[in-house]
Amino acid sequence: MDHTITAIDADLQALTRDVSAMGDLAVAQVRASIDVFLAHDLATAAKVVRGDDALDLQDAEIEKRAVRFIALRQPVADDLRRTIAAMKIAMQLERCGDLAKNIGKRVGRMASAAPAAQAAPIGELGRLVTERLAAVVEAYRSDDSQGAYAVWLKDTDIDERHEASLREIVAGMVADPATVGDGAHLLFIAKNLERIGDHATNIAELVHYQITGQELDNRPKL
Amino acid sequence: MNVQLESPPETAILDLPSETVKLQVRNLNFFYGQKQSLFDVSVGFAANAVTALIGPSGCGKSTLLRTLNRIYSLYPGQKATGQVLLDGEDVLGARVDVAALRARVGMVFQKPTPFPMSIFDNVAYGVRLYEKLGKADLAARVEESLRRAALWDEVKDKLRESGLSLSGGQQQRLCVARGIAVRPEVLLLDEPASALDPISTARLEETIAELKRDYTIVIVTHNMGQAARLSDHTGFMYLGKLVEFGETEQVFTNPVTTRARDYITGRFG
Repeated sequence: MDHTITAIDADLQALTRDVSAMGDLAVAQVRASIDVFLAHDLATAAKVVRGDDALDLQDAEIEKRAVRFIALRQPVADDLRRTIAAMKIAMQLERCGDLAKNIGKRVGRMASAAPAAQAAPIGELGRLVTERLAAVVEAYRSDDSQGAYAVWLKDTDIDERHEASLREIVAGMVADPATVGDGAHLLFIAKNLERIGDHATNIAELVHYQITGQELDNRPKL
Repeated sequence: MNVQLESPPETAILDLPSETVKLQVRNLNFFYGQKQSLFDVSVGFAANAVTALIGPSGCGKSTLLRTLNRIYSLYPGQKATGQVLLDGEDVLGARVDVAALRARVGMVFQKPTPFPMSIFDNVAYGVRLYEKLGKADLAARVEESLRRAALWDEVKDKLRESGLSLSGGQQQRLCVARGIAVRPEVLLLDEPASALDPISTARLEETIAELKRDYTIVIVTHNMGQAARLSDHTGFMYLGKLVEFGETEQVFTNPVTTRARDYITGRFG
C-alpha cells in the first residue's frame, strides 16, 4: 500500500534509485580496476582513479537526502530501516570505490604486468568479487531478501580465492626477489578485492535487514 | 534461518510476564447498546511502565481505556464482558466499590477539565473525598501533587486563583495533579496532549515519564511520535480488536503485522 502522503513514496523511491545507481557505478569501477590490472593499461588505470570522485559525490548526496528525509518525515518501521540502510549501503559502496581506486593507483606504480601465474588467480578473485557485488546491488534494487541472503552465504569462496592468490604471489616473490616491489602491490590488490567482497557481504546484511527487520548472523567463515 | 518466507500474522500480542503486570485484561468485549465495539481483547499493562494505545479513530482504544476504571458505567446501555484484573481482582465484578476503584485508577481526559474552583481546591477536592487530612497534611499533599505534575513552580504564588485562569497546558497538568493527589495506582490518560502546544506537550510528557516510577500508566494517543517517545509498550487497535501489542521499540522499528506497519508508517487507507 502506498503512503497517504505521496511525497514520502517519491522520496523513498528517489533514495532507492540513487543508491542503486551508485551501486552500478561501484560495480563498474571495480570491474574496470580488474580490467586495467589484467591488461596493465596505465592510461585507463588513471581514469579509474579519477572515476572515484563520482562515487564520493553520490555518497554525500545520498546521506544528505536521507538526513533530510528523517528530519522532515520522521520515518518509522520499514521506512526508517530503508532510510538507514540507504545511508549505510552508500557508505559501503563508497569504500568499494576507494579500494578500486587504490587498485588503479597500484597498477600505475607497478614496474610491469603481473606474470600469468599470479595474474590469473587475482583475475579470478576479481571476477568473483565483481559478480557478488553486482548480485547484491541487484538484490537491493529488486527488494530481494533471498538474493541478498544468497550473497551473504557465499563469501567463503572469495576468502578461498584470496588465500590461493596470496600463495601464488608469495611463491613468485620467493622465486625472484627482484619482483618483491611489484609483489607487494599484488598483495594489496588481492587484499583490496577480498575487502570489496566483505563490503558486498555487509551490503547483503543491510538489504536483508531493510526488508525483513532481521539481522543476519553466524555467517560461515573460512 | 533468518529469512522470512511466511506471510506476517494477522495479530501479534506479546504476553507479559505475569509478575510485571498490574492490570490484566482478559477476553474483554464491550457494547454500546447493541453495537459491539471491543472484540475479545486480552492484554497486560505493566506496572511502573507506560503503555500507549494507538489506532485510527473509532478503533476502540478510548473504549478500552474507559473499561479500566469502569467510567463507562456512568452511561446507560453500555456493557462490558470479560475480565479486567487489577492486582488479580476483577474490577468488572458486581461487588466492586466503583468510587474506591476510581481512586485507585485515576483518569485524565482529552480536554482539560478543571473544576470551577481555586487551583488548590482542584487538587484537594478528591483528597477531601477519600481521606480526612489535617490542614497542614492536605497542603503538603497538594504541593507534592503539583510538584509531581511539574506545575508547582508556575502556580505556587497563586494557589487561590481559579483553575480556569491557567493556560491549556497548565490546566492539563492541574488535572494530572488532581488525578495523582488521591495516590492512585494506575493513571489513564486519554489524548492528554491533543489540545496542547509543543512546549506544554513536552512538559506533560516529561511529567508522565517521571510518574511512571510510581504508577502504571496507560495513554491513548493519536500522536505516533508521542507513543514512541513516551511508552514502554504499544498496542495497536483496529476495528475493536487489539492487532499488535509489544515493546514500543519493536513496534516502531519492526512491526510484525501488516496493519500496524501500514498505520504507523502512514500507509493507512
